[in-house]
Amino acid sequence: MANIPLIEFRKVSKIYGSGEAEIRALDGVDLTIQQHEFVAIMGPSGSGKSTAMNIIGCLDVPSAGEYLFQGVATSGFGRAQLTMLRRHMLGFVFQGFNLLPRTSAIENVELPLVYRGVDAGMRRKLARDALARVGLAGRENHTTQQLSGGQQQRVAIARAIVTQPAVLLADEPTGNLDTKTSIEIMELITGLNRDQGITVIMVTHENDIAEYAKRIMRFVDGKIESDRPNPEREATHVS
Amino acid sequence: MFLETLKLALRAIRRNMLRSFLTVLGIVIGVAAVIAMVTIGNGTTAQVKSELSKLGTNMLFVRPGQFGPGRASTTARAFTDRDVEAIQTQISGLRAVSPSNRSTATAIYGGQNHSTSVTGATNDFFIAQDWDLTEGRDFLSGEERGGQAACVIGQTVKKELFGSSDPIGQQIRIGSISCPVIGILAAKGESGMGSDQDDTIVMPLKVFQRRIGGSTDISSISLSAKDGVSTSKIQADVENLLRERRKIQAGREDDFSVNDMTQLAATMTGTTTLLTGLLGAVAAVSLLVGGIGIMNIMLVSVTERTREIGIRLAIGALEGQVLTQFLVEAVTLSLLGGVTGIVLGLGLAFLGTSLMGLPFVTSPSIIFIAFAFSAAIGMVFGYFPARRAAQMNPIEALRHE
Repeated sequence: MANIPLIEFRKVSKIYGSGEAEIRALDGVDLTIQQHEFVAIMGPSGSGKSTAMNIIGCLDVPSAGEYLFQGVATSGFGRAQLTMLRRHMLGFVFQGFNLLPRTSAIENVELPLVYRGVDAGMRRKLARDALARVGLAGRENHTTQQLSGGQQQRVAIARAIVTQPAVLLADEPTGNLDTKTSIEIMELITGLNRDQGITVIMVTHENDIAEYAKRIMRFVDGKIESDRPNPEREATHVS
Repeated sequence: MFLETLKLALRAIRRNMLRSFLTVLGIVIGVAAVIAMVTIGNGTTAQVKSELSKLGTNMLFVRPGQFGPGRASTTARAFTDRDVEAIQTQISGLRAVSPSNRSTATAIYGGQNHSTSVTGATNDFFIAQDWDLTEGRDFLSGEERGGQAACVIGQTVKKELFGSSDPIGQQIRIGSISCPVIGILAAKGESGMGSDQDDTIVMPLKVFQRRIGGSTDISSISLSAKDGVSTSKIQADVENLLRERRKIQAGREDDFSVNDMTQLAATMTGTTTLLTGLLGAVAAVSLLVGGIGIMNIMLVSVTERTREIGIRLAIGALEGQVLTQFLVEAVTLSLLGGVTGIVLGLGLAFLGTSLMGLPFVTSPSIIFIAFAFSAAIGMVFGYFPARRAAQMNPIEALRHE
């Protein structure tokens, strides 16, 4: 297993429109991400970083090329199979938190387990544990509206990790947060990667946020312009 | 898993109480209307049936003209005394042959006057109608034959004209004649058609023909068969006899009709059943409108919750699971409406029937149909919005503001 990359793009392209109006959101991208990595994907808007993220997250499919997850080609996957992959392997954290409104923290965290068919008792326990891991023990019954932005993002992270996914996908996780809260959230994510070995792939356009990652990829015009390890964080790598 | 979905649906419905209530209102009104209409209609049918059964099943009515849907005719000749005699002498198995004619007239006694129905008949009338006298006597043969005035009055006439005093032997005026009251009929109550049967005066046919009717016409003949004699046999015999007497050529339709009670009952209950069905169908249209209301609101709800749907799809909900969620929500809504409507409809029907003095006859089948129908409405009208939710692109759904 060690030799098989967790995520691999082989000449992946994503093309919107056709003819004159053709837009190559991704243009023959090759990339490989191993288990336990913490990768930041950067780039200006329209660079293809979000498209790449959506394809990694199985929310979108390439127009050309091949996306392999744990060495398995996903090009033949239908909508249901992609959903199953998301359900079992991926956890999502979004810029806008995307919690269900008027719903308690613990119910939000339980949601992915509901779709997995985990029974209620087990669900409650796992969700409670996940909330504790993001530092929200005791706030299980607060509804979304009763929580601050930082707390909402913590609930979202708990929801993403409650299924023990192979990869945590974070799309601008600090985009809606102030500096102080952003630092707290990034430290939480860094901790999950460092202490629990969760692979993290994060899209951001802020340099100081990207600095938390161990590897920084920069997209420009649908291609990877640079891909370098982050020396400051590389030292903490646990292999 | 289903219980989860149901809980989820109930929560979504609760979250928007007012809107859910308004959505359901269409179904509630539709179902309540159907249930109330049909239940009241069933009560009417039951009422008519029980009234008719009181009249007995060994009776036949002979009337000039044809009755029934689309063939009522008023031009047919009335019967004559000789028709009656022919029936009396040539048809066997009859207990009573009661020719009669009927009109309305004002009866006056003292300072009281009262407009009532006046029937000219013979003593066989009381046998054929199975109608007893509580006081006094029926007609003497002299009164019947000689055309001497004598009146038997119903309970309503007695009350209106005499109040609590004794009518027997008193003279009442009916039109141009003065008539002694010789007997009082037992109370009979309302007829199946809703008229007061006790509001009547019976006098000898001869007197009626001469002094009130002004002709020797006989407008109807009631026949009462002896026990154990088949009414259909008598019916056929009477038909043959009358065709002969009225000189109707072979192949031409009768210009009179002979009906037994079961036929009459079938016609009358047929009419009320048809009416019930018609009212029910009109009410069912409002159910359909209610269904469209549900679809409308579900579509709004799906659009409003696009983001929520995106979240669910992103974190691993299958298309089918989202579809089920919204479908269950729609069906739960419409079933809530259906059950409320059933309860409301039964309440209204109970109120209605007790006000109209009808029996309250609940029909389990219509309740079941209303229940199933409202579930079906949720399914049908919920499916389109649910499918729209399930087939959303999660990326776009998440981007939705």
